[in-house]
Amino acid sequence: MIRIYRALLTNQIQIMSQYRAQMFLYVLFSFIRPIIFLAAWLAVADSQGGQLGAFSRSDLAAYYVVMIFVTHLTTSWDMYEFEYEIRQGALSPKLLRPLHPLHYSIVANVLWKGFTSVAVIPVAVIVAITFEARFTTDAWHVALGSVSLLLGAALQFLFGWVFALVAFWTTRVHAFVTLYQRAGFIFAGQIAPLALLPGPLQAIAYGLPFGYMLGVPADILRGGPDLATALLLMGGQVVWLAVAVVLYRAVWSAGLRQYSAVGA
Amino acid sequence: MPEPIVRVAGLTKVYRVHEREEGLGATFRSVLKRRFRDVPAVTEVTFTIEPGEVVGFLGPNGAGKTTTLKMLAGLLYPTGGEARVVGHVPWRREGAFLRQMTLLMGNRSQLVWDIPAADSFRVLQEIYGLADERYRATLAELTELLELGPLMHKPVRNLSLGERMKVEFAAGLIHSPRVAFLDEPTLGLDVSMQARIRRFVAELNRRAGTTILLTSHYMDDILALCKRVLVIHHGRLLYDGALGELAQRMAPYKVIRVVLRDGAASAFLDELGTVVERDEARITLRVPRELAGERTARIVRELEGGLADISVEDPPIEEVIDRVFAGERMPDSAVPA
Amino acid sequence: MGRYLRLLGLFVRTELQFALEYRFNLLLEIMQIVVVSGTSVAAVLILYAYTEVMNGWSLPQMVVLLGVFYMVQGVEELVFQPSFQRFMEHVRQGTLDFVLLKPVSSQFMVSFRHFQTVQTIQVAVGLVITLYGVAQLATVLTVGSAAAFALTLACGFVLIYALLLVLSTLAFWFVRVDNILALFWAFIDAGRFPIDIYPGWLRLTMSTVVPVGIAVTVPAKAIVGLVDLQTLGFVLAATAAAWLFSRAFWKRGLRAYTGASA
Repeated sequence: MIRIYRALLTNQIQIMSQYRAQMFLYVLFSFIRPIIFLAAWLAVADSQGGQLGAFSRSDLAAYYVVMIFVTHLTTSWDMYEFEYEIRQGALSPKLLRPLHPLHYSIVANVLWKGFTSVAVIPVAVIVAITFEARFTTDAWHVALGSVSLLLGAALQFLFGWVFALVAFWTTRVHAFVTLYQRAGFIFAGQIAPLALLPGPLQAIAYGLPFGYMLGVPADILRGGPDLATALLLMGGQVVWLAVAVVLYRAVWSAGLRQYSAVGA
Repeated sequence: MPEPIVRVAGLTKVYRVHEREEGLGATFRSVLKRRFRDVPAVTEVTFTIEPGEVVGFLGPNGAGKTTTLKMLAGLLYPTGGEARVVGHVPWRREGAFLRQMTLLMGNRSQLVWDIPAADSFRVLQEIYGLADERYRATLAELTELLELGPLMHKPVRNLSLGERMKVEFAAGLIHSPRVAFLDEPTLGLDVSMQARIRRFVAELNRRAGTTILLTSHYMDDILALCKRVLVIHHGRLLYDGALGELAQRMAPYKVIRVVLRDGAASAFLDELGTVVERDEARITLRVPRELAGERTARIVRELEGGLADISVEDPPIEEVIDRVFAGERMPDSAVPA
Repeated sequence: MGRYLRLLGLFVRTELQFALEYRFNLLLEIMQIVVVSGTSVAAVLILYAYTEVMNGWSLPQMVVLLGVFYMVQGVEELVFQPSFQRFMEHVRQGTLDFVLLKPVSSQFMVSFRHFQTVQTIQVAVGLVITLYGVAQLATVLTVGSAAAFALTLACGFVLIYALLLVLSTLAFWFVRVDNILALFWAFIDAGRFPIDIYPGWLRLTMSTVVPVGIAVTVPAKAIVGLVDLQTLGFVLAATAAAWLFSRAFWKRGLRAYTGASA
């Protein structure tokens, strides 16, 4: 397996070297939205004397600086690529090989995010300084937070794939993906930290998987919740991850049946 | 005498190409200082075309045909020289010029893929400012000539390659231009479609008197349509005149094919001419043109009953052209001054 | 002039016919527009759950801004984006020559040829949101502010157009400029909020390099009468300058493409 991964990695590196411009853009998209909403929340906080619930200005800044990282490391693009792959007939050759197509995606994700994170770090540092971010992070925050980040990435990866698989049944993937993304827009923790969502919305947010992809890791890494709460939230991540795995396997086999029935 | 519809004098085009060697070091250096190379595409080309002519533009790939055509269509600025098409300087791209001219490029599509051709044609009507009556009449004629009937209302992407080519042709001619530049018009088409396009071009010239300058590397296109050819190679005009004369000048020989009966002696044939092919009973000879008749008679005499079949032919035109392109020296006065 | 208007009408009609053929697709796209706009309004409401005023902007004012943002984005995605995208494909595939062979302005053909007609819904939704915001405001809509709004909005469209034209013209030299355009779209998202909330460098970028800030914030202020004549004059001047520059740049690019010596 390791040999396979090494081969896939080398291949993907070569492909990536052609896409320098896209990599730059990927970095850009990762930090633009967090900055936009940070600026908005700071304006709101200022109108309330610098404190919103449990968040001071610096807390908000810290949250969004971390959000830059989290967004960068958890973004999934497979829902767009998969539909394209099916249309171009590139899926069939992959299915003929004794390697689950998911592995290609994992390798691509790891590489792209790994390489481009180098560019994200300085941006995050500048934002942190500009907005005077204050991190209340203990050592365990970092430890748990890193695990939470991986869980969040895996969660978004798998759920993204579940929606990508819609392409097995329809070419109108775009509409479904939009619904999925806009739900994430509200509930994932990008436009507002989960704790700041007004009452009913907050309850819904903790019931949906989106928050566990971005908001939870971001909050833990900035040093927000106490140990008990952090563990509870991560528990939620694990639960949703389990759901995602089950869902993925079910949809994948159903999708394959559909694919071969229609004629690969 | 009517004015030539196309007049070209000393037309030259030199491309400035950014040159870079391989390797990382060279890449970095090229960021700081670029190196350029001058690539001559067309050099001092001069010719005129009278209204109503169908002229072939012959040359291997990269000879400068398309570049010349693009300059005549106004798409490229020349580096030197002059040209006038329907009395205008092409690269000024004046409205009056554009309305009287068309350039059709073989494997390139100008129609919008997703919508029926008819809709694209309506846009063309508006762009060229064609009055309804005239537009409908021209469209009807083109539909008849090209057998477009059912094709106009299907989305272009649903048409086969041959069908699409026909519609593209019609789109390029809907404004009844006086001059048509055709760049590889039969590229990629099957044999029967090629023949149909050729018939169409000939008919167009006959009915409307459209002047046609066409490039092709299919010899059959040229043979079928053009009495006059311009031969271009390495950007220079090598020959301008009748196709038959070209064969006479460049390949002043005839080809004698002899088929022998069993046991006939054929050794003497080597003295009569250059043996190009020898295959048991079949021998192909090349013989100087002036001596063809005499040599043929001698072969018949000497072989008598040993001769099964004999034929005397002009060299295949492809061979002639190959010789031209292989750089064999053109005899003097191949290009009129 | 009449010819160009008739051509525009033809362009709209042909793409509309095509879109109407795929009715289900159309419905889905309308749904998407509504969902996106709706969730953006929700985002604004979430922010205003905590305050009455944000950087001097009240909730109705912010709603107006969001509406204008979607109007601007709608127009951009209605005609400029699809046309310029097709233009870049033309340059890549060598079919731009066909455009240049026609006796019409190539800039016109390249900028307005293709309409993504469903985006008119986006513009309409934006207008509805804007008017709803205005209705909620204490201030009365006067002829002056309505005129100022229309004028600055038009200027905003022209500014965005000029920017997209300049970026697309780069295709003459670099061929593959879709990435630069993606850059533009990354920044346009920041136009959803008034540019005064952003730190200096971003505010500057949004006012100059990517003038979405001007295109959205200024009309949003104009409709509530917050724009003085001086600002109006400045916007008009900037728009005129941008238009002239982009047009000159386009001509320059065209000359380079056809190999004219400068």
